[in-house]
Amino acid sequence: MRAKILRSPSPLPGFGVSFAIMMTALSFVVLLPIGALLGRGFMTGPAELWDMVNSRRIWAALMLSFRAALIASLINLFFGLMLAWVLVRYRFWGRRVIDAAVDLPFALPTAVAGIALSALYAPNGIFGQALAPLGLQVAYTEVGIWVALIFIGLPFVVRTVQPVIGELEPDLEEVSATLGARRAYTLRRVVLPALTPALFSGFALALARSVGEYGSVIFIAGNIPNVTEIAPLLIVIRLEEYNYDAAAAIGIAMLILSFAMLLGINAIQIWSRRRIGLV
Amino acid sequence: MNIDIEDLAKEFGPERALHPVSLSIPSGALIALLGPSGSGKTTLLRILAGLEFPTSGCVRFDGADATGLSIQARRAGFVFQNYALFRHMTVFENVAYGLRAKPRRERPTRAEIDRRVTRLLEMIQLPEIGSRYPNQLSGGQRQRVALARALAIEPRMLLLDEPFGALDARVRKDLRQSLRDIHDRTGLTTVFVTHDQEEAMELADLVVIMSMGRIEQIGKPADIRARPVSDFVRAFTAA
Amino acid sequence: MSDFTPAQTGRATAEPRPVRYLLIGGTTVFVALFLFAPLLTVFTEALADGWRSALAALSLPDARAAARMTLSIAAIAVPLNAIFGLAAAWAIAKFDFSGKAFLITLIDLPFSVSPVVAGLMLVLLFGANSSLGVWLMANDMRVVFAFPGILLATLFVTFPFVARELIPVMIEQGRTEEEAALTLGASGWRTFLTVTLPNIRWALLYGVLLCNARAMGEFGAVAIVSGKIRGKTATMPTMVEMFYNEYLSVAAFSLAAVLAMLALLTLLLKTLLEWRHADLLAATRLH
Ligand SMILES: Nc1ncnc2c1ncn2[C@@H]1O[C@H](COP(=O)(O)OP(=O)(O)OP(=O)(O)O)[C@@H](O)[C@H]1O
Ligand SMILES: [Mg+2]
Repeated sequence: MRAKILRSPSPLPGFGVSFAIMMTALSFVVLLPIGALLGRGFMTGPAELWDMVNSRRIWAALMLSFRAALIASLINLFFGLMLAWVLVRYRFWGRRVIDAAVDLPFALPTAVAGIALSALYAPNGIFGQALAPLGLQVAYTEVGIWVALIFIGLPFVVRTVQPVIGELEPDLEEVSATLGARRAYTLRRVVLPALTPALFSGFALALARSVGEYGSVIFIAGNIPNVTEIAPLLIVIRLEEYNYDAAAAIGIAMLILSFAMLLGINAIQIWSRRRIGLV
Repeated sequence: MNIDIEDLAKEFGPERALHPVSLSIPSGALIALLGPSGSGKTTLLRILAGLEFPTSGCVRFDGADATGLSIQARRAGFVFQNYALFRHMTVFENVAYGLRAKPRRERPTRAEIDRRVTRLLEMIQLPEIGSRYPNQLSGGQRQRVALARALAIEPRMLLLDEPFGALDARVRKDLRQSLRDIHDRTGLTTVFVTHDQEEAMELADLVVIMSMGRIEQIGKPADIRARPVSDFVRAFTAA
Repeated sequence: MSDFTPAQTGRATAEPRPVRYLLIGGTTVFVALFLFAPLLTVFTEALADGWRSALAALSLPDARAAARMTLSIAAIAVPLNAIFGLAAAWAIAKFDFSGKAFLITLIDLPFSVSPVVAGLMLVLLFGANSSLGVWLMANDMRVVFAFPGILLATLFVTFPFVARELIPVMIEQGRTEEEAALTLGASGWRTFLTVTLPNIRWALLYGVLLCNARAMGEFGAVAIVSGKIRGKTATMPTMVEMFYNEYLSVAAFSLAAVLAMLALLTLLLKTLLEWRHADLLAATRLH
């Protein structure tokens, strides 16, 4: 195996074993299940699949998952950038606590986040009561889904952008100032373009995660069909009805959606990198 | 524009980068700050540009106190050692940057910007590279683009931190001459930092020798060679 | 928030003071509302009826069974993931073969698959409606609605965690140290244990930490595959959901509080690791 796969020989041992472990694990844990889903789709056939997905309720759910993820990721793009900037560039009391807290959504189980958000924003919750006089309802509306997805996606943006801000050369900002540019102009014309690729990656990661998010959303969403019912929930419902084909159809649609998104975002990223001359 | 530096000191925490130093730079002179690594050359240059604030002392431009003047208002053309070109902009956009950054009232028209950038690119003898990106340039070309960008804002002085530091010996020699030419043509008060004594002696009207945050000697190259004031200067210029 | 100064760039090129205050204030409020408030709520809701009810809820048999389940799953899934991660990083970082980028994409794939879809895949593969599932059942082996299914689901969603931390670190370190050890006569195993492992131990620990947090907290995939059978296949997160849906708020939040404390412990360890080994982890910070 070694000689066939390796491009150049290496004196280090263990390639066969490690490669075999990797490929076995990858095949059984990841590829086989994905294959099962796609295989199911093939057996059903595209026309049938389309028929199964092409219902108002499923479209509404897919659109909702996608739209809410997009909105939440855009909000995260803004606040994540701001947070990363503040954490890298300023020293203030409480900075380290905030820095550590950014990872909370990675560490906290999504179901826990879900019930906590739901308790907060429910009509009798603290935030729910505070927002009610303003005529704002968050729980059981699409806004509630945004809130949950903002929670879930935030660290992706912060953690991708933060190291890049840390490595910005101060020279560039300084030279811009000596050329007479005001601070805002420097930020817009010099700093932002340098951060764009990282912002794209962070946005893409947050988006990919949010589109399929389930645990943190279902408690606060209210799950009203056609209104606040997300696509993953619909899969769960179909499975509970033992309607495997319908569940598989939605699953395939989601898979295609996320792969298309990843592909699109990768393309944009490569394009922007090339334009900026980082490649 | 003449520059007066009076008892300027700079501390970074406990570290003294500059002991009080005083220096008078006559208008239109080409000055070299020469000294070993860590002697405070960059610090002094950055204070002149407004990038660093002195702990005490003051800087005067044409007699007016400039210590509190903002970087933007100083109009100091500053060339960084690694040129600090904007990688996501073409050479043309780099050179035009300072002009486009001006507030709308003072901003030249588009045609005027075009004209000025083209003229500058001709001046640095690179008229054809306007549409290239910095990573498509050689080190020497980058250095000249950085110089053109600094000149575009019609600066009141030119400050260069080891402008030839990252270049090989031959290119260095060529660029030395072109810096001299540009200086003579524009008549700008110019301060450049170097730790190459040959470069300082050959290029500058006046050489300032620094060591450990102090100015050891100020003088014309020939005078410094003939009459070094200390053993340090003798040793350093003999090298 | 009183004594801040801009870091890194000097005062000369920092934002004006009011802007700095605004940015710091804005982010603090944002973090307080979106991150701290939910976290606090978990604890206040758990203690809504006092300590005693919270502790009583935790000693419910269902809660205990769920905790046992979650711990056993993590105890198996995390070491397996670590072994896989080490093997993958060793093969990818230390050897030269084609198709690496594609392989890394495949390893990262579970990140972009919805956990619910992951659970669905396993049900389709091993469930009663597939031929494999029927065969398994005929031979009295259960995957779906049983421990193996939960384990597979957990392995799927945590798949990239350790490998992703290790690959960049090991690529950065190259292979000269291992080659030196080999020329000094060390065996392959010994080289790995005495040269490679010490070099990557912090990154490994970091990956294991994140993997463990996700393994214990996974909800969507596990909820589908486990069938959420109380006392049998329910894990802590799925038990939280069931308590919550039965309006047993204190029980739900008490269990959630335990998970939240685990999360805080994870964050604490992670932060300590990052402070002490910042340079080493710098390469892996891309998460
Ligand atoms: N931002 C800073 N923070 C702390 N100390 C600094 C800073 N900038 C410079 N120093 C210190 O001030 C002293 C003078 O530094 P400076 O950069 O002016 O030296 P230099 O003469 O330009 O040296 P080189 O030839 O190596 O560029 C050094 O001891 C340096 O460590
Ligand atoms: Mg210097």
